[in-house]
Amino acid sequence: MPNRRPRDLLPLVAPVHVLILGVIVLPSVYVLWLSLTASSFGKAPVFVWLDNYARILADPAFRSALWNTIVIVVAAVHVELLLGLLLALLFASGLPLRRLLLVCTLAPYAVSEVVAVVAWRYLFDPDAGPVTQALHALGLPVLDWSFEPLHAMMLIALLTIWLHLPFTFVILYAARLAIPAELYEAAKIDGARPFQAFRRVTLPLLGPAIVVALLFRYIFAFRIFSEVWLLTGGGPARTTEVVAVYLYREAFSYNAFGTAAATAWIMVLASLVLALGYVALLRRQVDVDAH
Amino acid sequence: MTDTTPRGLTRRRFVASTLGSAAALSAVPAWAQAKTLNILSHAVHERVLGKDDGDLLRDWKAANGVELVFTTFDSNPLQDRLFREASLPVTDFAVGYIIDNRPTSAIAALFEPLGPLNAVAPIEDFADIAPGLIQGLTVDGNLIGIPVRHATGGLFYNEALLEEAGIAAPPTTLEELIEQAKKLTFTAKDGTPVTGMIMASDLAVFPVSFARAFGGDYITKDFKLLPKPEAMVKALAALNDMFTAGALPRSYATTKNDDQVTWMQQGRAAFTMITFARYAQFNNPEQSRFPGRIKAVQFPKSATYDGPMAAVTEAWGMVIPRNAADKDLAWAYIREVASRRVTLGMARNGNGPVRVSTYAEPAFAAASPVAGEEAKALATARGAFPPFPEAARAQQLFLEDVQLAVLGHKSPEAAVESMVSRITPLRPA
Repeated sequence: MPNRRPRDLLPLVAPVHVLILGVIVLPSVYVLWLSLTASSFGKAPVFVWLDNYARILADPAFRSALWNTIVIVVAAVHVELLLGLLLALLFASGLPLRRLLLVCTLAPYAVSEVVAVVAWRYLFDPDAGPVTQALHALGLPVLDWSFEPLHAMMLIALLTIWLHLPFTFVILYAARLAIPAELYEAAKIDGARPFQAFRRVTLPLLGPAIVVALLFRYIFAFRIFSEVWLLTGGGPARTTEVVAVYLYREAFSYNAFGTAAATAWIMVLASLVLALGYVALLRRQVDVDAH
Repeated sequence: MTDTTPRGLTRRRFVASTLGSAAALSAVPAWAQAKTLNILSHAVHERVLGKDDGDLLRDWKAANGVELVFTTFDSNPLQDRLFREASLPVTDFAVGYIIDNRPTSAIAALFEPLGPLNAVAPIEDFADIAPGLIQGLTVDGNLIGIPVRHATGGLFYNEALLEEAGIAAPPTTLEELIEQAKKLTFTAKDGTPVTGMIMASDLAVFPVSFARAFGGDYITKDFKLLPKPEAMVKALAALNDMFTAGALPRSYATTKNDDQVTWMQQGRAAFTMITFARYAQFNNPEQSRFPGRIKAVQFPKSATYDGPMAAVTEAWGMVIPRNAADKDLAWAYIREVASRRVTLGMARNGNGPVRVSTYAEPAFAAASPVAGEEAKALATARGAFPPFPEAARAQQLFLEDVQLAVLGHKSPEAAVESMVSRITPLRPA
C-alpha cells in the first residue's frame, strides 16, 4: 500500500484503539477517580482528594504487605531467571529424552494455580503432609510455615518459582536456540573455553530475552495473589500478606472501594518503579538495534 | 475468481442462516416456564430445599408457574454480589440471602422494608419465628429480612476417641474441656495422630466463645468493646496454653472451617466447635470414619464464671432488593420458604430452624439427635458482634491479635491492649 496517508489507515487500526480505550484506558481513569473518593455500598462517593493514599501509606499493614511483595518478587523472579537459564543451557546442550523432560519442565505452567496451591498445601501440611513426614523421617528440618512467617514466605516463594519457571525457561530456551551454531564454532576455533563462550557469546546474545523475561515476570509477580491467599491467607497474623491480598481485603471484605482503588494505583506505580531499571535497559537495547 | 464455492458456506449464507435461525427461535412460543425468579444465595440454601421428589417447593412452583434459578456463592462473595446488585439501577435478582451481621444503616437502605408486605400478605404464624433473629434483621426500625437459617455453635466431640482415652463423658466446664483436649492429644490405636481440638483461626466465633465462657465478650450490641477485658485475657491464655501443649494443631493459624470438618471425620481431632447443623455431615457413613460417634453438647463455660453462657449464633435472612422488578413474586417465595412446613423440611435437611415450634416436632428430633442441645443453646445465643460500617476491618484486627497471642508471639495482656487501641476508633460514634 504505497503512499497511503496515515488518515486513510486510521479505520484499520481503530478497532484496536477502541478496544484499548474500552478495556484499559477508561477503567483506569475510573479507578483513578474512585481512588480520590470515599465509597462503599449504599453510599454516594464523596471526593476526598488524596486522603485514601495518605491513609494507605500510613497503614502498617500496607507497608508490611508492600515489603513482603517486594521480597517475594525480587527473590522469586531472580531465582526463576537463574534456574530458567541453567535449564535452557542444559536443554540446548543436548539431553537424552529431551521431549519428555521438556514436557516435565513445562507441566507446572499447565496446572491451575488453585490446584497447585491445594496440592502444595497438602504436601507441606505441618501435621500430616507427605513432604513434612519425609523430612522428619530423614532427620531434616521441616518448613513450619503455618507458625513461622519466614518459613511461610519461603514456601510461597518456592511455589511461585515452581509455577512460573516454565515462562522464563521458554523465553530463554527459544532465544538460546536462535543463536547461530557458527558463533560457537568460531569461538572454539579462537580457543574459547566453555565458560568464555558462555560469557562472550551466549550471555550477550541472550541479553534482550533476559530483560524481557525479567520485565514481564516483575510485572506479573507483583500481582501475586492466589499463592498467598490460598496457602496462608496472609497469616499467621497478616505477616505474609502481599499488596494484592491487602487490596482484596479493602475491596471485598471491607467494601472500601476508594482505598482499594488507591491501593491498585500504588501497586501499578510500585511495580513500575521496581522494573524501571530493566525498562531503561530494554529501551537502550531497542535504541541500539534501531541504529 | 470468486471467494465462494457453489455449495460451500459463504459469508452471505452464513449471515442469512444465522438471522433466519434467530428469527425462527424468537417465533417459537416460550419453552421456559412463564415466570423466573432469580435468587442469590449460598449453595446450602438451595440444597436444604431439596430436589426431585424431595423438592419442598415443588407444589408451590407448579401452582404458581415459577422456575427458581439460584446463583450461589460462598458467604463473603455472596454478600458482595448481593450489595453490588442492590446498588445498581435495576437488578434481575428478586431475592437475596443476607447474613445478619452485615446490614448497616446504609446497606439496609438498599433493601425493601418487609413490614408493609407482611401486613398485607402475612407470613404463616409470624410470631413463631425466634424474636432474637427478627430483631437481628430489623435496622432503623425496618424489618429488611425474614430469618431463614441460623447457625448456632456447639461443642462436637468424638465419643470413640474419648472412650479410647478413658474419658467417660464430655466436658461440663471449660477447664475440663482443656484438660480433656490435652489428654486426647495422642496417637490413637489405629496409628492416627490425634489433636485435642481443632478450630479455624479466621473467624471471631472461637475466641469470642472462649471469652464468653469467662463472662466476657468482644463487642456488645451497644458497641461496647471488650466489656470485661480480663475475660478476654483469660480466654487468650487458655488458647495459648492449648496450643503450647499441642492440643491445638500446629497449623492453627492457617486452619479453615472445612479443615474442622475433615479432621473430625477422619479422627484427627477429638473436639471442635462448629454449628449444630453439621451433625449430619460429621456422622455421614460415606464421609466419616466415625458415623454415629460424633456428638455435640453446648459449649461449656468456665467453672469460675457463674453467669449465663451465650453461644455464638449467626442468622441468614431473605431480602428483596429495592431495585428488584417483581417484588410480589419475591414476597410469595419468601412466605412459602418461611412457612412451618418448609421450615421443618429444611431443618430435616440440615438447616438450623428459625421457628421455635420446629424443635418440638418429633420428625425433626428424629432427624437430628442434637436438636435438644441446639434449642437450649439458641435460647441464649447472640451474634459474635453487631453490624457496623467497619465491623469487617475490626474483626480482622481482632483476629490478628488473637492469632499472635495464641501462637505465643504476644502476651494475652498485650494483645488485649492492642485490640482496645486499634479497634476503638473503628466503632460507631
